[in-house]
Amino acid sequence: MSDDAKDEAPSDEESGSGNGSAGPPIIELKGIGKTYYRGKERLDVLKDLDLTIAEGSFEALMGPSGSGKSTLLNLIAGLDTASTGTIRVAGADLNAMSDGERAKWRASTIGFVFQTYNLMPVLTALENVELPLLLTNLGSAERKTRAKTALKVVGLEDRMDHHPRQLSGGQEQRVTIARAIVTDPKIIVADEPTGDLDRENADEILNLLDKLNQEFNKTIVMVTHDPAAADRATQLRQLDKGALK
Amino acid sequence: MLFMIPLSYNVRSLLVRKTTTVATALGIALVVFVLASSLMLAEGIKKTMVSAGSASTGLVIRKGSDTELSSGTEQKNVALVLAAPGVKKDGEGTPIGGGEIVIVAALDKLGTDGQVSNVQIRGVPGNVMKYRPNARIVDGRPAQPGTNEAVVGAGLRGRFRGLDIGQSFDLRKNRPLNIVGVYEAGGSSFESEVWADIDTLRNAYGREGLVSSITAQLESPSKFDAFRGAVENDKQIGLEAQRENAYYEKQSEGTSIFITALGTLVAVFFSIGAMIGAMITMYAAVSQRSREIGTLRALGFSKFAVLFSFLFEAFLLAVVGGLVGAVASIGMSFVKFSMMNFTTWQEISFNFEATPGILGSAILFGGLMGVVGGFFPAVRAAQTNPISAMRA
Repeated sequence: MSDDAKDEAPSDEESGSGNGSAGPPIIELKGIGKTYYRGKERLDVLKDLDLTIAEGSFEALMGPSGSGKSTLLNLIAGLDTASTGTIRVAGADLNAMSDGERAKWRASTIGFVFQTYNLMPVLTALENVELPLLLTNLGSAERKTRAKTALKVVGLEDRMDHHPRQLSGGQEQRVTIARAIVTDPKIIVADEPTGDLDRENADEILNLLDKLNQEFNKTIVMVTHDPAAADRATQLRQLDKGALK
Repeated sequence: MLFMIPLSYNVRSLLVRKTTTVATALGIALVVFVLASSLMLAEGIKKTMVSAGSASTGLVIRKGSDTELSSGTEQKNVALVLAAPGVKKDGEGTPIGGGEIVIVAALDKLGTDGQVSNVQIRGVPGNVMKYRPNARIVDGRPAQPGTNEAVVGAGLRGRFRGLDIGQSFDLRKNRPLNIVGVYEAGGSSFESEVWADIDTLRNAYGREGLVSSITAQLESPSKFDAFRGAVENDKQIGLEAQRENAYYEKQSEGTSIFITALGTLVAVFFSIGAMIGAMITMYAAVSQRSREIGTLRALGFSKFAVLFSFLFEAFLLAVVGGLVGAVASIGMSFVKFSMMNFTTWQEISFNFEATPGILGSAILFGGLMGVVGGFFPAVRAAQTNPISAMRA
């Protein structure tokens, strides 16, 4: 099924402007199924799904609501486990890992960008960005330096001491991106990163994701409803009723 | 290595929710206040009673008596006891000590609606100030021996009808005692007594030739064993000797244990309410911040880090409350309190005694309430599913 999907996926030229160099597979899903139970009702959200994503690619996942996009993203990010099949991401067999092991793995391997930003309202921009670095052995001074650098990359060096409520939506999302890249993860997962933004701010965020993909060779997996966002990806995958089209 | 969520996150989260934080902390403050105050009360009683005694003073009462009030021996035994080895003598070679008689009189308590309360009246010999060096006249003058003059302890002054300089009260009908002075005795329970001439008291109560106790100042605390040996070996007179401080400690035990137990019991009942308050506050915090918790978990913070973070927040909240309660309880140190000593049936007056140990343990108790109250909400936070939490 995934082979079909890959065949149908548009080429770099067709799908967007990104030119992140496609390397060896970094994400490999085989025979993935995800089933939920609501009382006695069985819901097969993903069905026998195969997917391979190359290192350095910028992938967009699209599809109608309930098609399983977010579920697939959560599996790739190690937030959830598959009911069937195997998931290898950045060399790790996620289904074989405990909850604690996956938490540690996420801290070093995955950067998260959420639709609703999910910043800690009581922490400043700098402290929010520093948060993932608390899961490393870095000292306080080094953490601060890295967090400042990440904020500089997203163009918010002059907003470090601002709290989220003092920032615009676009600025909040840029802080989220800074937080996602501060640990230098291999993969960035973005769930509707432009969903809450106007066109101008959305474009700025997409430019940033482009930059991370092209200049920093980050593998980006993005769920989106926004065709303009999907246009930026090097690969577009369409999901429907739990299967890749 | 344990990777923890920064504590500043918890501190600021508490500050953001000012109203619930203050309300919960005040509930805990109240419990800590009650607990600290009752422990201070018990400590005050103990200190007041124990400080009445000295290790280098021997107190002799009839064998088998628990208190001076229930003790009695003949006047002639006073000389025998004071002749025992180890008793200190003055420059003229006279032993420093004397026999005393103790009675309890019901007097009208001022500021109440005709209530009476027991006041201990001690009949003392003329040299009482010699063997009670802590005692000194602070107002008026000493009572003249052999007269119906008396001095009142500073703790009782003005609290009962007739107990102030220039006033008098009747021991019995037509047996008045005139108050001519006020004495202090280092804050001890002696300050809750009236000291009158021993013969005047004995005559009024028909107890001529008897004393309740014999007090003897010893050359040093180490002389006590020899002193006791001599007193107790004479089976004829049937007396027993104790160090004065040990005697008073025993007198305070019952009341102080009762107050401690009562205070702790009340605090424990109150603490159940305060813990439920802390629990509700923390459940609300976990529910309001479920998206934040989900995000922290997604970023890679462990379940334990989340559990610890919320437990710490509850602990911090409670410790702040505990500090407020403890500081408020220090204010009680300025309050003078009087109550019945259940051993001597005497009204004694004392202060709430704040000690670092009491304040520290009361604050710790507050913190413990936070940890207990915050435990289940913290477990719920730790078990938060990051996916559903972030979708909420």
